[in-house]
Amino acid sequence: MNAVECRDLTKAYGSLKAVNNLSFVLEENKITGLIGRNGAGKTTLLKVVAGFLQKTAGEVRVFAEDPFNNLTVSANAVFIDDNMAFPQSLCLDDLLHAAASFYKNWDMGLARGMLDYFSLNPKQYYHRLSKGMKSIFNVVLGISARCPLTIFDEPTTGMDAGARKDFYRALLKDYLRHPRTVLLSSHLLHEIEDILEDILLIKEGKKLLHMPASHLREYALGLRGKSSLMEDLAKSREVIHQYCAGEDYAYLVVKNDLTEQERHQARLAGVDITAVAAADLCVYLTAGKKGGIDNVFNKNQLV
Amino acid sequence: MKLDADAMKPIYVQIAEWLETEILAGNIGGDEKIYSQYQLAEMFNINPATAAKGRSILADEGILYKKRGLGMFVSPGAREGILRKRRDETLKRLIFELVLEAERLGIQENELTDMIRQMKNGLRGEMKS
Repeated sequence: MNAVECRDLTKAYGSLKAVNNLSFVLEENKITGLIGRNGAGKTTLLKVVAGFLQKTAGEVRVFAEDPFNNLTVSANAVFIDDNMAFPQSLCLDDLLHAAASFYKNWDMGLARGMLDYFSLNPKQYYHRLSKGMKSIFNVVLGISARCPLTIFDEPTTGMDAGARKDFYRALLKDYLRHPRTVLLSSHLLHEIEDILEDILLIKEGKKLLHMPASHLREYALGLRGKSSLMEDLAKSREVIHQYCAGEDYAYLVVKNDLTEQERHQARLAGVDITAVAAADLCVYLTAGKKGGIDNVFNKNQLV
Repeated sequence: MKLDADAMKPIYVQIAEWLETEILAGNIGGDEKIYSQYQLAEMFNINPATAAKGRSILADEGILYKKRGLGMFVSPGAREGILRKRRDETLKRLIFELVLEAERLGIQENELTDMIRQMKNGLRGEMKS
């Protein structure tokens, strides 16, 4: 069964289409990473899927139902971001009890164990926590709820490197024991890449890629060497990114469709062939204007 | 357990190679059960689908075989298969890089073979002690 289905989904704020004609399907019990630059439409998309926002056009289905104003979806989905609204009069332990009464798969032992591990005092009040500690409490809630659809929107804001690592590990371990559909947005792809099954890359509200995360490393190749040597290689294929240093030295990122023979010839001619990290590839694919930040400086003659 | 995050190789290839090395080292013998995708996922902190892909590469190559409902096992001829593959593919690729670099540096063939011999003798001494 599919957990989430979107067809030609659009969400507009006035004339701005934050989500623009997006179609994709998330199969049940997969961890999918939603990746995109700032303002790509990640949060809007997640909120439409969670039923917090009403779509403008197209279709969205969560467990085969329209998520907006839908009790079945809200009982089976948890949405975690850095803007959680909790009542100020309840302490952390009260909040856990409230969550337990709402989510039928809730694991109180796990929630308490994690609070203890992260040194969060159950008698503390949420609004008194530091930014990082708030994020930790949020993810504890998100994991312990064990919702069939678990959505994390940039959940690690403010967390230190150690806490982020612990969170990813905790999410993976609990997922292995209790599989569920997880949608995780982040711009730190290199941190989450390994625990993802699929990756959904969006730009300006549109889908760029939706593929197994483990294939992303083979999607493109980096070629480094004399520009003249690489002209032929670049001519017949899509160039995803190029960077020129000096007169005749270039780094090209191309789609990985070189034949064994072409690779061999290139290596003999002195072209270095390297893999392109998934995070770098996503940056290149979502780059706005050609030339990147260097162009700004060149135009202002600051270089 | 640590994987090389910056390596050219996809994670599932690294998983397949780690399993091969375990078999070569004799840690898992012929007709013994191999780690499940969930065990591998937990050991290496990776998605179980990625771990499953690593195992299925080896199954496609006949290094592992499936028993319905029981999981995946090491083929009796796995060692020989892995040794052949490493010699024909991995070692050949490394030698290509070696020869290419030697050409760039203008190193003669006998000089290169001498260097290999020296390295080999040196390592043999270290491994014995």
